[in-house]
Amino acid sequence: MNVYDLGHVPWLDSQLLYHALPRVGEAGLILLAPATPYVCIGYHQDAAQEVDLNFCREQGIPVFRRGVGGGAVYLDGQQLFYQLVLPLEHPAAQGDKETIYRRLLAPVVRTYQAIGIPAEYKPINDIVAGGRKISGNGAGEIAGHLVLVGNLILDFDHAMMSRVLRVPDEKFRDKLFKTLSENLTTIRRELGHVPPEDELKAVLVREFESVLGPLQPAELPAEVRAKARELELRMTGADWLMRRGKRSRERGVKVQAGVNVIERAHKAPGGLIRAVLVVREGRIVDADLSGDFFFYPAEKLADLQQALAGLHPEDAEAAIAEFYAAHAIESPGVTPADFAQVLQVPA
Amino acid sequence: MQIGKYNFPDDLYYDKGHNWARVEEDGTVVQGLSGFAQDIAGEILYAETPRKGRTLEQGKPFMSMESGKWVGRVEATVSGEVVDANENLEWESNLINKDPYGEGWLVKIAASDLEADLARLMRTTDPEFEPFMKDEMSKYGK
Repeated sequence: MNVYDLGHVPWLDSQLLYHALPRVGEAGLILLAPATPYVCIGYHQDAAQEVDLNFCREQGIPVFRRGVGGGAVYLDGQQLFYQLVLPLEHPAAQGDKETIYRRLLAPVVRTYQAIGIPAEYKPINDIVAGGRKISGNGAGEIAGHLVLVGNLILDFDHAMMSRVLRVPDEKFRDKLFKTLSENLTTIRRELGHVPPEDELKAVLVREFESVLGPLQPAELPAEVRAKARELELRMTGADWLMRRGKRSRERGVKVQAGVNVIERAHKAPGGLIRAVLVVREGRIVDADLSGDFFFYPAEKLADLQQALAGLHPEDAEAAIAEFYAAHAIESPGVTPADFAQVLQVPA
Repeated sequence: MQIGKYNFPDDLYYDKGHNWARVEEDGTVVQGLSGFAQDIAGEILYAETPRKGRTLEQGKPFMSMESGKWVGRVEATVSGEVVDANENLEWESNLINKDPYGEGWLVKIAASDLEADLARLMRTTDPEFEPFMKDEMSKYGK
């Protein structure tokens, strides 16, 4: 199998080439980084719902829909991409999703370990170091091939990532930024420096060879580049980018497996309750409650928010009722059950 | 037929991509994912169903679904035209997991060459069916 080390390439090629490779019937491992930043959404996402398209347009940040799964991400030259294309019948592409992810991400985990970062695989397709995500991955079946794409994160602009996503308000964005900063780490943050990219790529190729067999450095065939230009026409058109995707009734951003920032609302008889929640492994880490309901004494609302931290949503109603009793709370038309309702987030 | 922990209703036809096809009284074909297929897929987070009127070709992908940040393609069990798609999947795609042979159906197809297409599919009574499924289960560690 061939490895195509393409260095830093125009941003569009950092997406189109791995879509083109399987379409000309070729397998291989592509290593590259985009020369300039862009936003990339998952195949089934809804661009207008996920991305602040106006902001991206104003800033000249392109937005692209990829053919593989996962969520919206901010990508730039501080991320080294690996893009693996295997025929579906390849031995390394056999088994269920978790088996394949575990097998194909092992070389990435070992690359991090080789440079001194204690990375580990976290199902279903995250790689974490010290509990923080350090690589994002997605997969798809394209033209009879399994395509796995992911990155080594050398450095990351957490602020820009939280800026390019569409969020309900600045409060949500602040929580998103804080949660991203706390839960997404980088090689620079872990080591204090970034090893030379050539060094990282050499380790990565060696580790992929242990799973895939020998990888021959090669020039990307001209027909792959030609197919990429053909795909460019379709994949940069508004029809492709703006096609209808998964619509959600509530706004949520998955920061890593098990860590989500979610906005929820519940209409109680006494008014609308809105909550911006950070949830980690099914527990409420942070809750911000607002709305047009009355709550006396008003200053106790902040204390209630604090009291919710660490709770499982199913324990919330009892905890809130206890809080009401302890602080003689009055909230006409809004009961502890109403607050509990807005906290019922998916596991 | 029960194979391991999976049920394969005897009145259905199956392809090797683990899709099922049921011929309705009016001759249309309803297609879905087998109980085994939804299990190996994991929780299906989104299913993109095709528009009505789209022409399908047996064995060619016509829709996609996503689970575990993995986009999988679904192939048509028979050639023909999509006459209906399960709109409930837009909001509740895990119906495919909960009820793969019932509420989790994917599409209804007006087949263009039904008899020839059915002849290329498997029935639970075919001698090859059980060994094929057992082989697949072992591949996936099920």
